[in-house]
Amino acid sequence: MQPSKHIQVVILLLVGLWSAGILLAPILSAAGSPIGSALYSIYAPVCHQLDHRSFHLAGEKLAVCVRCSAIYFSFFVSTLALVLLRRTSIRVLPSRPWILLALAPIAADAILSLLTGYESTTVSRVATGALFGLMMPWYVVPLVAEGVSQLRTRFTIKEGSSYARETQ
Amino acid sequence: MLEKPSKWRAGLIGGAVIGVVAGIPGISLINCCCCAGVWLGGLLTMVLYKNEFTPEMQPLESSDALILGLVSGIAGAFISTLIGVLILAILGPVEAEFLRSIIEKALERLAEDGSLPSDAVEQLREQFETSLKDSASVSGILGNLFVTLIVYPIFSILGALLGYALFRPKNPPQQIPTQPA
Repeated sequence: MQPSKHIQVVILLLVGLWSAGILLAPILSAAGSPIGSALYSIYAPVCHQLDHRSFHLAGEKLAVCVRCSAIYFSFFVSTLALVLLRRTSIRVLPSRPWILLALAPIAADAILSLLTGYESTTVSRVATGALFGLMMPWYVVPLVAEGVSQLRTRFTIKEGSSYARETQ
Repeated sequence: MLEKPSKWRAGLIGGAVIGVVAGIPGISLINCCCCAGVWLGGLLTMVLYKNEFTPEMQPLESSDALILGLVSGIAGAFISTLIGVLILAILGPVEAEFLRSIIEKALERLAEDGSLPSDAVEQLREQFETSLKDSASVSGILGNLFVTLIVYPIFSILGALLGYALFRPKNPPQQIPTQPA
């Protein structure tokens, strides 16, 4: 397995773990496990966790709201697709306007509902969140893989040159 | 070719922005939308760092974005905790009152339109009060610092990578040889 492919699989596992935690929190909480409330605490700094803006499972709200759930689950699906399609090079990154296309709807939906009388709906939150979540891995995952490879190479060279100095 | 600029300046300024956004009551609500404040802090760090480059320097790389995001995320976690503690010590529980008023309004609305039964509303209120008490205790503050030290760097790295994707050089840098001669 190529090093960058290896890193992509690690990213997929981490994103999968994060997404699984969102679903596990309500299930464990409904079962009366203290791990459930610990999981809610982990996600608390990244989401308001308002009950009426969340999907429910086993009678309990998910660990994050509707919009965040859409982002994380679609991020996971997109990362899985990247790994399966073996997209590892940053030379195949989508062009810049696609970032803005993914960012603009979610930013507009969130900012307008915060600053104006516009009330975002569950559909708009899921749609804009999923669009953002589906697009991001196509930039982020190859860049992380590339960045980690660069760091690895840099440290390998540094170690090599310091070893050469010591043996001189 | 000249060395790249130091990452500390951009990283710490970005971290300060993340910390201020997350630590000040009211403004911290931005982070309720998937840590948007932390994403933006990471992106800002990348923009600041990119502006320090001159044509004679080695090109910007994705590994720079990883390091910048990590530095600003860690700095942001410490600064937001520090600001939270200072606010709690100097001004009293302003944030708690601010949050309480918002949650009370939301709970009232839920109770009025019948979205939730009254016992469920009461349960939510109790949960909220418990979480407020935790945030004012030493163990609560340390627990929050622990979680933010993990979460903020992740989201800050994502923001910095987004910034790199937006402002990256047109021609990607040449691969460095993997093995020394």
